[in-house]
Amino acid sequence: MGLIAFLMVTAAITDNGPAMPADVAAEYKKITGTLDYNQHVKPILSDKCFACHGPDKAKQKAGLRLDQSKAAYGPLPESPGMFAIVPGNLKKSEVFHRIISLDPDYLMPTPESHLSLTAKEKAIVAKWIDQGAIYQPHWAFVKPVKKDPPALDGEYAADHTIDRFVRTRLKEMNIKPAKQASKELLLRRLSLDLTGLPPTVEEIDAFMADNSADAFEKQVNRLLASPHYGERMATDWLDLARFSDSHGYTVDRLRDMSPYRDWVIKAYNDNLRYDRFIHEQLAGDMMPQASRDMIIATAFNRNHQQNLEGGIVEEEFQTEYVMDRTNTFGEAFMAMSVGCARCHDHKYDPISQKNYYELFGFFNNVLEAGQISWNEDMPTPTLLLPTEKQEEVIAHINENIEAQENKTMKTISAATRNADEWIAQQGYKKLGTEKIPLPGLMARYLFNGTLVSETDTSKKGEMKYDAGAKGDKPVFTNGRGGQVLLLNGDTYLDLNGIGVFRKSEPFSIGVWVWIPKTMKDGVIFHKSEAERLYNFKGFHVNMKNDRLEILMAHTAPSNAIIKLAEKDVARDKWIHLTLTYDGSSKASGFNLHQDGALVPMEVVKDKLYKDIIFFREKEPGIQIGGWWRGVGFKDGRVSDMVIYDRQLTTYEISVLANKTTWSTLADKNYNDLTDNEKKILSSYYLMAVDTSVRNEMTQLKKLRTSLSDSMKGIKQLMVMEEMSKPKKTNILLRGQYDQPGTEVFPNTPTDILPYPASLPRNRLGLAKWLTHEDHPLTSRVAVNRIWQQFFGMGLVKSSEDFGNQGNLPSNPQLLDWLAVEFRESGWDLKKLIRLIVTSETYKQDSYASPALRELDPENSLLARGPSGRLTAEMMRDNALAASGLINKKIGGESMKPYQPEGLWEINSASYKADSTDAMYRRSLYIISKRTVPHPTMATFDASERSSCLSRRQKTNTPLQALVLLNDPSFLEAAKVMGEKMSREANADYAIRMACKKLTGRDPSSKELEVLRALQRTELEKFRANPDKAKGLLNVGIYQIDKNIDRALIASNTIVASTIMNSDATITKR
Amino acid sequence: MGNHHHDEKRLAGEDLKGLYQKIDRRNFLGRTAMGLGAIALQQMLPLSSSGATLEDQIMKALPSIAPKAKRVVFLFMAGGPSQFETFDYKPKLQPLYGTQLPDSIRKGQRLTGMSANQSSLPVVPSTYAFKQHGKSRTWVSELLPYTAQVVDELCVIKSMHTEQINHDPAITFFQTGHQLPGRPSIGSWLSYGLGSDNKNLPAFIVLISKDASKDQPLYARLWGNGFLPSEHQGVQFRAGKDPVLFLKDPEGYDGADRKEMLEHLRKLNEIQNEPWGDPEVNARISQYEMAFRMQTSVPEIMDTSKEPAEVFDLYGPASKENGTFAANCILARKLLEKDVRFVQLYHQGWDHHGGLPKNMEQQCKQIDQPSAALIVDLKRRGMLEDTLVIWGGEFGRTVYSQGKISPDNYGRDHHPRCFTMWMAGAGVKPGFNYGATDDFSYNIIKNPVHIHDFQATLLHLTGIDHEQLTYKFQGRRFRLTDVHGHVVHDILA
Repeated sequence: MGLIAFLMVTAAITDNGPAMPADVAAEYKKITGTLDYNQHVKPILSDKCFACHGPDKAKQKAGLRLDQSKAAYGPLPESPGMFAIVPGNLKKSEVFHRIISLDPDYLMPTPESHLSLTAKEKAIVAKWIDQGAIYQPHWAFVKPVKKDPPALDGEYAADHTIDRFVRTRLKEMNIKPAKQASKELLLRRLSLDLTGLPPTVEEIDAFMADNSADAFEKQVNRLLASPHYGERMATDWLDLARFSDSHGYTVDRLRDMSPYRDWVIKAYNDNLRYDRFIHEQLAGDMMPQASRDMIIATAFNRNHQQNLEGGIVEEEFQTEYVMDRTNTFGEAFMAMSVGCARCHDHKYDPISQKNYYELFGFFNNVLEAGQISWNEDMPTPTLLLPTEKQEEVIAHINENIEAQENKTMKTISAATRNADEWIAQQGYKKLGTEKIPLPGLMARYLFNGTLVSETDTSKKGEMKYDAGAKGDKPVFTNGRGGQVLLLNGDTYLDLNGIGVFRKSEPFSIGVWVWIPKTMKDGVIFHKSEAERLYNFKGFHVNMKNDRLEILMAHTAPSNAIIKLAEKDVARDKWIHLTLTYDGSSKASGFNLHQDGALVPMEVVKDKLYKDIIFFREKEPGIQIGGWWRGVGFKDGRVSDMVIYDRQLTTYEISVLANKTTWSTLADKNYNDLTDNEKKILSSYYLMAVDTSVRNEMTQLKKLRTSLSDSMKGIKQLMVMEEMSKPKKTNILLRGQYDQPGTEVFPNTPTDILPYPASLPRNRLGLAKWLTHEDHPLTSRVAVNRIWQQFFGMGLVKSSEDFGNQGNLPSNPQLLDWLAVEFRESGWDLKKLIRLIVTSETYKQDSYASPALRELDPENSLLARGPSGRLTAEMMRDNALAASGLINKKIGGESMKPYQPEGLWEINSASYKADSTDAMYRRSLYIISKRTVPHPTMATFDASERSSCLSRRQKTNTPLQALVLLNDPSFLEAAKVMGEKMSREANADYAIRMACKKLTGRDPSSKELEVLRALQRTELEKFRANPDKAKGLLNVGIYQIDKNIDRALIASNTIVASTIMNSDATITKR
Repeated sequence: MGNHHHDEKRLAGEDLKGLYQKIDRRNFLGRTAMGLGAIALQQMLPLSSSGATLEDQIMKALPSIAPKAKRVVFLFMAGGPSQFETFDYKPKLQPLYGTQLPDSIRKGQRLTGMSANQSSLPVVPSTYAFKQHGKSRTWVSELLPYTAQVVDELCVIKSMHTEQINHDPAITFFQTGHQLPGRPSIGSWLSYGLGSDNKNLPAFIVLISKDASKDQPLYARLWGNGFLPSEHQGVQFRAGKDPVLFLKDPEGYDGADRKEMLEHLRKLNEIQNEPWGDPEVNARISQYEMAFRMQTSVPEIMDTSKEPAEVFDLYGPASKENGTFAANCILARKLLEKDVRFVQLYHQGWDHHGGLPKNMEQQCKQIDQPSAALIVDLKRRGMLEDTLVIWGGEFGRTVYSQGKISPDNYGRDHHPRCFTMWMAGAGVKPGFNYGATDDFSYNIIKNPVHIHDFQATLLHLTGIDHEQLTYKFQGRRFRLTDVHGHVVHDILA
């Protein structure tokens, strides 16, 4: 009771304002000087008020918004005559009365919100209103301006611009900058920061001996020029790019995206301008003269997770991927959580739901599958990455194909004379008995009460369902003057391996079908797996939204030929369909005919570059009327299917369709033939009869097949590729894929920077918008991340959020100066980094006195140098480097280091560690499987790479202790160090060297004493009981030298492991 | 169990302890608004260095409701067990065998990509017989004879529902309150909100049956900490020689050796920290001590061999084999005895799109006796009253058969619109049936319980107001129940 009574007392009164609770009044009194809206007031309003009175129109309570002055000063819509804020007049400001109220029905924020203001926060709001309630635009949306820092003298004097900014602040606070760190610690800090690797003993010694004035600068130059610089920089970027070796989601199969990682490493090493770095990743494919590397860069937008779970809805996940791109774009380049506006207007930042889908529109133009391949096929679109050798082979085959095409054409024209002769000699006469074309006929199924092939009774179709279950009987019904096959949509007819064609092989398939009126979608026939998947491989004739679609794919939808009929197909009547293909892998050679006439079709995709079969012993053949988990040919009827291993001529197709007969020609004598009839016969002769032409065609087919064989092994990378016709984008209500609202068009949020009219409304334009000189965010966000990389914390602590809910810059002038300097330097990253690391600020000793630690626990004032735990990657790389085990190969596919058995099994996969020195490669190459992160890395807070991550956690847990003590990655390194130490005659020297390799410095005499004592105790123990060393010495694949005393190695291993577990190793100081 | 720092605004364990000593929270917070209590508190306690208001910290750290459950064990049946063959008895389906599911029942809502394109949806009743059991007259199928014997301890909820129709989103939604990866799981929220009552073991432990069929994979993020500090992640205890990753010292190097080495390490760290005075180093020294304690305590707890024979009899023959669901149930009981906050068992293999009868028999056999035994065992040890036991999967299954239907072989697709779970123990009504579905177990006709409601109720039982346990990340306050969820007061004892 006493407490509550204490709070009820409202005592003090402001100068001339209304009564204030005592605690608020006390805080109010403490505030001197003018309050800054951005710095002091908005963090309170944003965090506690904007959720209901902010930018989200749908959530604005009482029609009030407090994020804009105009609305806040205006009359309250629901309380006539009252105002939320009256500048300078606290008494008339409803906001004030509300926040200090004790009446739960009147109090703001409401008790239901579980939010409340502290006395200090209330006092700030009150004081700000008193001072005129001046609003300012959000700092991060105002273009940064470069203002030089003031000159300083005395102990604050500095030449370096960064130091002048930092020390100006320190001077105000009356805090002295720290002295420079010791040379040893400084070199370790610099080496780890710039390359992720510790300095070698030789490098330390050289630096220690170098007394020249520019000794440090020389190290900076050396390290910036090191190829490992690119690896270090890439590690952080890969977190933002959510780079991973697996698809994520439930089944989480592996995929190789390493060419993208190689691109990032190289981009940093080549010091690619940061604006180009952005442009290429966002739109390399759309840039003029896009090179292979530029297209590889666009894998950035394909790094997201992809789902292959059987039951998912295609459209749902297509949408999800575009959202991932949109969200990543916002976070990686602008530190804006745009994803919040997916379902509703952003609650804190000026990004409306419309803005979100306008951004979404830039990334919505990829012809991709929502449900990706169940098998290992790379989801499309992809870029082929042939090796030089492969490129040569392919170029050679292509030349041969071209030559053969020419040769075939010549042979055809030469054979025209043979054709004329054949016609003149009435060779066509015998066609009169052919009811259907016979040359090339592989099989014919009449389905008149039987599933047996008419041409070869050993070939027999079979009714199946699901993934190939048998047992159903065919259902026949009357039609076309006899019996025809009736389908139910689920059970399908499998021709058991008939109709297997490669993309190099011409074929034709004719069939009579009766499509019911009720059918809008569904497959007529296909050659693929029994299961319908969006990654479809093979070919099909399908109904899609009342129209016929033909498709031939390696992996649909982008490594494929897709054609869609321009008109709806006739229903409730018998029609004849013939699918023909010429073996060219081109849309022009893949056609559908209805009742003998070519069906006019729109080409949706014409980019088939890998083969259309599975290369399995038992290759699936044609299946009619259904596919597992897909819409089938329900109530459809089928009759008389013919399959040819060549492309039929137009007349033959008409014959098949009963539009004409051979006898209409065959019954004529030569002299009665019209010119046109002669032409028909001539082309028939050339395509079906003439052996010279057939030989050339066979040769062409062989060459095309060998091309396909050579393409098989070529690596592919998922990249961006625009659809020829832009996809429509709609606002999705509540963010749901199946609830489209108004249509929107590509655009960017105006509050950040209006989209210049000069830029195209596509990804390339968007990339250029980001790096426009007026863009307020891009350069700030970039320099802040670099700062975070070197100081452990950005100048804006929330490096992922520059919005209203993010932290304010600790040194706004410095941030802006760096941002402009960076842009003006030509977005030169190495220059920026050199600038940072050569500052006295960076070089400071990291010691914090208890008083300073209390005052500035996070080192936002920068009165001391940076320090912190090594990252996951550095921790392992440091141990590998110190032991000498490290394999410094740069780039290439990911590798598999030690990992406890059975981890991948929960995800129905198995892990086999590398058995070569690949496993000693640097940690940024460790395979990343999203559903089961590598435990060594995950325990030290590495990202699991599911989504864009700007800032890792920094934890300190017992599981980390277990990793450093017992993970073979570390124990083996300790063992190898132990072996090396055992070769030294002088035990002290051995310990000193081990320390130097792991910690970058000589041990103190006290440290040495502890380690020496440990070594002696352990040695005695291992001597007395050799079995104790068994596990230690057997760890890892490294075999120790059998000529060295095992007990000695074991004791030294323990010493090395102890150093590895000590602060001097774990912490970068 | 860890020591996180800098980023999040939460009282450190030590601060909390002090706070508990100084105030009687229930009296203090009882009916006063949190804000008032917090402001008053500022007079009594120094602000922690994190810069958050103390009020925020208390809100996050302290239960605001008298807790009923001190600990929770969740028997998660991954894959989605059929309600038709377990608890949701539907006698009226028998005569409808093979008939088309009426549109009036289906109401046109979406199906999974696996049966959406099926041209018919034939109704298939359960092939197994049902009987009523116990005083509560709860219907249970013949596949669960042991569970049938403990029905008077169970609160069976037949009206669970979710929005997700596929495994990954559904299971992620169940465990984290959101269908996309990245949010903390239930156990992490509990660890974050309530801390640990055991100094030697993690607050959130995960056990996975090795005898389950692995039809649908699991993923580590299901027990991940999301954006919460990583000390709150679930730690998987695995059957075998290294129950926690890297727990075991190298062969031959035993506990005494490790202790000696760590003693030297501590000295070395102290010397190294002399010039720095960095509290982080002290924190790390204590983490090494905790790691060392785990090296003893975890193998001890994992070793069930010393359990008396009658315990193995109770849990069934499979319980003698490490890593089975039955053995994990014994292990769970041991962990709960040590006051581990949240134990999550996963048993895979419930995704029966085809061959359902045969598979259900096997699955039920694996989990029936051990689940019932766990209830009996906890009860006789007096622990059931403050331990919450939960059984269930991520969704139910369809009344229609997926694929072909025959008397002894049919399948059921995913069904999010209704499914059955049960809870038992701390604070829930025993021998109680809640909610009801229509004759097709297709739609809920009474007392729907959404996943978020379930989560809110779970938190409520542990003493947490689900609306108040929040964590600020990327500018937004997140909670397990997102912006939804209502405590299901009807099922509270």
